[in-house]
Amino acid sequence: MELSTFAGPFVPEIVLLAAALLVFVLDVAGVRRTEIVGAIAAAGSSVALLLVTADLGWAPLAGLRTIAAARIDAVPGAAPLYAFTSLGLVFQAVFLIATILVALASMSRPRGDRGAPIFFGLLLLATLGMLLVTIASDLIFLLLAIEVTSISTYVMVGYTRKDARSLEAATKFYIIGALSSTLSFFGASLVYAAYHTTDLYAIRSTLGSTGFPVLALLGFGFLIAGLAFKTTLVPFHAWAVDVYDGAPSEVSAYLAGASKKVGIFAFFLVFLGPVLFFTSGGGNPFSGGSVDFGPIFRLTLGVLAVVTMTFGNVLALLQKEMKRMLAYSSISQAGYILLGIAVGTAPALAGATLQVFAHVFMKTGAFLVVAAAAGIGIGPLIDDWRGLGSRRPLFSVAFGLMLLSLAGVPLTLGFVSKFVLFSAAVQAQGFYVWLAVAGLLNSALSVFYYGRVLKVMFFDPAPSSTAPVGAGVGASAPPALAVGGLGYGRATAIALVAVTIVALGVYPQPVLGAIQSAASHFLIAGA
Amino acid sequence: MFPVISLVLATLLVGTVATFFSGARARWTALATAVAFLGEVALLFYDYTGWPGYNGALVPGFAEGESHAWIHLSWMQVNYTVGVDGISLVLVLLTAILQIATVVYSWKETNRPAAYFGLVGLTCLGSFGVFVALDVLLFFLFWEAVLVPMFFLIGVWGGPRRRYAALKFFVYTHVASIVMLVGLLATVFYSGATSFDFSAIYASARGLSPVVQTFLFLSMFFGFGVKFPIVPFHTWLPDAHVEAPTGGSVLLAGLLLKLGGYGLIRWAVEVLPEGFAHARPIVLAVALVSIVWGSVVSLAQRDMKRLVAYSSINHMGIVLLAIALNSSLGLLAAVLLMFAHGIVSALLFMTAGSLHHTYGSRDLATLGGITPSSPALSTLIMTGSLASLGLPALISFPAEFLALLATWSAIGYWVFVPLVTLVVTAAFYLWMAQRLLFGPPRGVPAAVPDVPAYEEISMGLLAALTVLFGVLPALLVNVITNSPVKGFPGT
Repeated sequence: MELSTFAGPFVPEIVLLAAALLVFVLDVAGVRRTEIVGAIAAAGSSVALLLVTADLGWAPLAGLRTIAAARIDAVPGAAPLYAFTSLGLVFQAVFLIATILVALASMSRPRGDRGAPIFFGLLLLATLGMLLVTIASDLIFLLLAIEVTSISTYVMVGYTRKDARSLEAATKFYIIGALSSTLSFFGASLVYAAYHTTDLYAIRSTLGSTGFPVLALLGFGFLIAGLAFKTTLVPFHAWAVDVYDGAPSEVSAYLAGASKKVGIFAFFLVFLGPVLFFTSGGGNPFSGGSVDFGPIFRLTLGVLAVVTMTFGNVLALLQKEMKRMLAYSSISQAGYILLGIAVGTAPALAGATLQVFAHVFMKTGAFLVVAAAAGIGIGPLIDDWRGLGSRRPLFSVAFGLMLLSLAGVPLTLGFVSKFVLFSAAVQAQGFYVWLAVAGLLNSALSVFYYGRVLKVMFFDPAPSSTAPVGAGVGASAPPALAVGGLGYGRATAIALVAVTIVALGVYPQPVLGAIQSAASHFLIAGA
Repeated sequence: MFPVISLVLATLLVGTVATFFSGARARWTALATAVAFLGEVALLFYDYTGWPGYNGALVPGFAEGESHAWIHLSWMQVNYTVGVDGISLVLVLLTAILQIATVVYSWKETNRPAAYFGLVGLTCLGSFGVFVALDVLLFFLFWEAVLVPMFFLIGVWGGPRRRYAALKFFVYTHVASIVMLVGLLATVFYSGATSFDFSAIYASARGLSPVVQTFLFLSMFFGFGVKFPIVPFHTWLPDAHVEAPTGGSVLLAGLLLKLGGYGLIRWAVEVLPEGFAHARPIVLAVALVSIVWGSVVSLAQRDMKRLVAYSSINHMGIVLLAIALNSSLGLLAAVLLMFAHGIVSALLFMTAGSLHHTYGSRDLATLGGITPSSPALSTLIMTGSLASLGLPALISFPAEFLALLATWSAIGYWVFVPLVTLVVTAAFYLWMAQRLLFGPPRGVPAAVPDVPAYEEISMGLLAALTVLFGVLPALLVNVITNSPVKGFPGT
């Protein structure tokens, strides 16, 4: 007996929606305490995560399956708008993990924080949109789901309504987001004009006869541009740093950890899954026509990936502010993930997905640490972290672990993901070996700016005239929270991230198996 | 079978972590770790001599094999696979000896002793791992794990130009590591192996075409060669050796250079025989150039440490030449020479360090005639110099003799290149000894402090070993020739 026999396949989504509505209703009823609404959000997404884990086929939870195993990774029938892929489920888990971490950490925001219910409600709605993205099989459905997410996040960036910087960031984010949506929808309309359908699986089956008319190429080009904004690929990255920098750090954590992955999954879906845009060989849609575009697109994407990672790394090297450094490093991480798409084999897709999975922990965790640091009176500059290692050893070690993982140091999750990704590039042979070399050199480069933070924290002496930690800098000292001023929620989230990074870095097998089978099924389902 | 290698790794790991956290008592923790390490290495030797062959071993061709799954994907299996053969065992012994010698020599280190001894332990842990790892990824992890502590040893405890030297060391060796890693990964994937185990690659890489093998070999030759170091990628070495603290120089010259030699033998020469055969002329040429360059440039040095550093390039050039001969005798000579150089260069760097502590200078042009004021130190400098120039009954002699013999039988009259440089080496070591030790005192201060006892003990230990293995080289030779992969005829 499993859940799927008497409940539909959308239970996780319904749970999230119910939690969001509960938060809004409580807001009207006057229950606005951060701890309560935060707990609802965290609990709702945890239940959803449990269900998704069951759907992924984890045996102990088999009774909680909401989707019959036969429906996963099966090519859907006539235009149902949605289809379940195991890779989509992996991404659902990724999004829910980010949501749980952010919700937990946000519970430690000041108790009287205005708009807390709105923040948590929007967080749940944005995640709901993300879950829908992962089951889309239709272009319009996909883009609408992305809109659900985007509109929620625009508001989240500026929800405090106090800080001019975050309002500016919200406006910027909104305008760029609107532009990106416009481009995507325009691209989708051109694709529709070319194929007379927006169903991705239907497009694939007509490719053999129709090939790639100019309209379709234009359409896919616009789609790439629209999605590239979401994924912060160079040259569509310029908004990201300002927005990550201006938004409240919890929201930055969510944007970098979850929001960006929406664009990545859309890339997977449109260009690797059903359409097999870049695959050459037997199923190559281009081989029927006169020109084989496959290698050209792969080359373009590969160059884009290298440019993105190099650009992000070099600029991260130059930053003085912690958040901006993390924002640029986030851009470079997008480059690594894109490298997996450019290679396009099942191992590379597994590597890219693993990188996404690792990035959620590392980057969400790092931004949450920055949020917590602001709460205990540490300034925005990297130099403000001087000597923190001796004053707050556990906190610094946790952040240090995240940085080491971001740099790809062995025995962390970040190392495993990069290793699998670059090995997959070498395994694909030929031109891709050079992509691996570029990626490795970039990793070496990134060691310097992560290492600089470690040096500042652990080797530099603390500034002599510091106020006692926890007293804050301004006149209005924040109320002292439990766990050394961090608060239970933040401390839990940060500890969870640090432990996961090391545990899965030492023994990654549980995650590897699921992701590998998801990736290979994703490509086979599209073949 | 009892997992001795894992026990050693665990000992080193626990000991090193404990050293980092034991504050002022760090030297005792470090010494205990090093002694335990040596004891466990003795256990390895004890097992090894009783080891009948390599039949039934978990890892074919290696003793004490252990293998556990780590990262398993359908297209890639990474394992924790370790094991030793005669070649690695000798170098493991070198690691244990040098760890004890370094810890004892640096006994009164006052600048952050816990971190210093911890980093020394980490370097030795990484080196041990490199010598026993039989999986591409595991090997690479340990390889990189040596880089980081050495970077800090040079950069924090080094001489006046330490930051420059540390960064140069890191950039050179790290870029080389990346090229090496890509070469290793490409060897795995191009040969169609899915397992990263040495034995799997060893079996499958032979199926690669000679052209591919040659390219792969050259990428690894570059990667390992920078550590050797080979001319023209050697310039990090004099800077790093001179700026490093004495303990750092000892580990650099004694261990790090050996990593390059061992890596080349194990992962390039044994795995890609055809590529090696095709690339041999290049390797031979590079070896001869390094030999000549190292010895000629040594002649022009006034700083004793720099002189020893350049002579290291010369000696490691002979190691490379012996490897490039592609004969069993050459391989034996190469391993023996690496061991000998590890002991002798460590001794010489220690004497240079003591000279600096005692006289505040290592300048051969201004300092001289120190025998009356420091007789013990002079004796040790003389022993090191004589060992380095290859005096019979000292450790370098059997190794160099075998190397020359193998060179003669493989490439004939080219043997005169290393032979002449050996004469040059003898000349500049004798010249150094003559200026530094004998004659009227020059630049010697009125009151010369005694060389501390712990430094003398450490150097004395190494000097005794040069004599022991010089008289009884068979102790090592019998172990090395027991290595199954290449096979040694006539043993």
